[in-house]
Amino acid sequence: MTTTDHRPARVAKAASVPGTATAPPRKRKRISMAEKKRRRAGWLMITPSVIHVGLWTLIPVIATFYLSFTDYGIFSAPKWIWFDNYVEMFNDPVFMQSIGNTIWYTFWTVPVSMAVAVVVAVLLNQGLKLQKFYRTAFFLPQVTATVAIAMVWLWIFNPQYGLLNAGLEAIGLPGQAWLVDPQWALPSVILVGAWQGIGIKMLIYIAALQNIDESLYEAASLDGASAVRQFFSITVPMLKPATFFVFIISIIGAFQVFDQIYVLTDGGPANATTMMTYEVYRSAFQEFRMGMASAQSVALFAFLLFVTLISRRVTKEED
Amino acid sequence: MEVKSRMRRTASVAMVALMGLGLAACSAGEADADLNPDEVSGEISLLTPIFEGSPGQDLLEDELLPQFYEEYPNVTVNVDYTTYGNLNEKLTTAVVSGLVPDVMLMGVGWIEAFADKGVLADLGELGLSEADLKESYTDEIVEAGMWDGNVYAVPIMLDTRFGVARMDILKEAGYDSPPSSWDELIEIAEATTVRSSNGSLERAGFDMMSLDARQAFETVLFSAGGDLFNADATEPTFNSDEGVAALGLMADLVNKYEVEDIGFTSTDDIVNPLINGRAAMGIAHNNLWTQALEADETVLDNLEPFVIQGESSGMFFGGTLATVANNSKNPQAARALLEFLSSPEAALAANEQRGNVPALTELLDSDYVQSNRFVQFAMENLDVAKREGGPAQWLEVRGDFAPAVQAALLGQKTPEEALDDLAALVQTSIDR
Repeated sequence: MTTTDHRPARVAKAASVPGTATAPPRKRKRISMAEKKRRRAGWLMITPSVIHVGLWTLIPVIATFYLSFTDYGIFSAPKWIWFDNYVEMFNDPVFMQSIGNTIWYTFWTVPVSMAVAVVVAVLLNQGLKLQKFYRTAFFLPQVTATVAIAMVWLWIFNPQYGLLNAGLEAIGLPGQAWLVDPQWALPSVILVGAWQGIGIKMLIYIAALQNIDESLYEAASLDGASAVRQFFSITVPMLKPATFFVFIISIIGAFQVFDQIYVLTDGGPANATTMMTYEVYRSAFQEFRMGMASAQSVALFAFLLFVTLISRRVTKEED
Repeated sequence: MEVKSRMRRTASVAMVALMGLGLAACSAGEADADLNPDEVSGEISLLTPIFEGSPGQDLLEDELLPQFYEEYPNVTVNVDYTTYGNLNEKLTTAVVSGLVPDVMLMGVGWIEAFADKGVLADLGELGLSEADLKESYTDEIVEAGMWDGNVYAVPIMLDTRFGVARMDILKEAGYDSPPSSWDELIEIAEATTVRSSNGSLERAGFDMMSLDARQAFETVLFSAGGDLFNADATEPTFNSDEGVAALGLMADLVNKYEVEDIGFTSTDDIVNPLINGRAAMGIAHNNLWTQALEADETVLDNLEPFVIQGESSGMFFGGTLATVANNSKNPQAARALLEFLSSPEAALAANEQRGNVPALTELLDSDYVQSNRFVQFAMENLDVAKREGGPAQWLEVRGDFAPAVQAALLGQKTPEEALDDLAALVQTSIDR
């Protein structure tokens, strides 16, 4: 049996010379003046961005981690309390409920809005009449202030004169107290979240659809594939990278839902719609407990990191 | 209507300004004697949750501040407008950044926290004493601005909650006067509740949902003879027998007597159900009168205020008070503005603009108060009114009241369980 040396030629050669077990140190490459200048210019150009990220992202992130281990109530200096905030947080039934609500909200809004968005994107990529109008209409909720949107939904959900109950009554179904009945409050908020998220997802999907090679569809047509078959066998697989991107940003967006809760339900009734971000807000600005709010923010960050890593792993394996 | 209202307000302001000159000696303005307007100078900031919106801003900038500048020409006021909903965030960021406004208007129940942490100036050191204030305000109102025996705030306006009945509806049902006990309240509420043939509610006999759940509970709690905290505010007492009875009454009105359904009204309703007849009785804010004046004047004669009578008289008051920052660089200018805003003329104008109850007892005789039955009723009954707050941690815990009350109304917890759980939470905050 013969053995083959798979080492790179330069290493193998060095090892074969008696007395030289390792390769000689590489000579430091001399950098030309022009290269130095170019590098300096590069650093100069990214400096504002580095300062910006450092000031507004890095320092606050580090501060949040630090404050999460302190009892800090804005009026006095932070006091180091180790893991007390975390222990209290995970023993707080309201915060645990907020985790459950957030997961439930994410579980429904992300797939529903993604599914609707991909269908809408495909439809609006067919060269329909008034295509631009429809695209704008679907994207409008994304660029409209959530508070304004929430005000409209408040009216739609109003039990007495709201559009939803009026529609239900017209077809003989009983109306509901959508935002004040604990059974309906969270589904109502989910409906608003799913609806609002369609626009940006649709936009990303349209961009991705336009990058799919038309010849794939032509070949499939020649082979006799139906439109539905083409959708599931060409469109969906080809949209995979966009889907992963949309999935991640949707999850992050869903976990960070705040303003529609703030305007629509204030976390009620009886904490039925409170979310992790809303609890962070309450701890910070209603209870003045910045240390606790920081711990809750870290928990939110950990959740997002975990979900993102899992998604990445799953997608990588499939790839 | 706006012009008419403005003219009436201007006339009232002029009249009260004259009255104020004579009465200054027994109001918060007394300390003016210590301030020499020519020597008071500087640029100060004012953070205010009242005077919001165009009418409020116009009143402050076009009518009130010019009067202040006439008296104090060397002072400049920079106004930062906000709402009570956003005041927490404003104050939090101000304290954290060290840029605390010189004069801050804040609510009843807020003073304790900010005074306890040294954010507010002790007004006694600026020349305003408890004794001076008690000559002009009722004791309970003055105490709302005190902490640890010192004065930190001067009241400007009050927000009260009490019972209101639609007498036309009550008379139709055979009742000539509002209820004078809980039993009567239940009886009349049941008699005036209207449901359609399919059981859906058309008119609530007693509405509690169109105002904040915490404040509704507090009003009923006070009528049960209960208090939020013990005398030194170290322990919650709202879960006492009186508290449980109060929350029990509210839960029974919804679940047992079915005089109101969850969601029938809400705090977001544009028109109060007492104005459009969707409720026969309810707990309401004093500015319901102003709302009715703007929405439907014909209903005014049918609105009858009443104190909710249980073991005790139940009336709630919150309000707005003026404070000075402890680290103000121009404390005398800040004090001058505080005294101006709480003076009869400025306070009256601010109250009239919001339909609120002036804190100054002397304003009971003003045209505005005499022309507004709810404000007049509130002022005449201030001696039975109780306020919220107490411990320095009140701001931390007050947001937990609404979910607890809602849990009881929804039947998720018994009133006792809901209040005991809440009390445990509150006690933890106090002990922290």
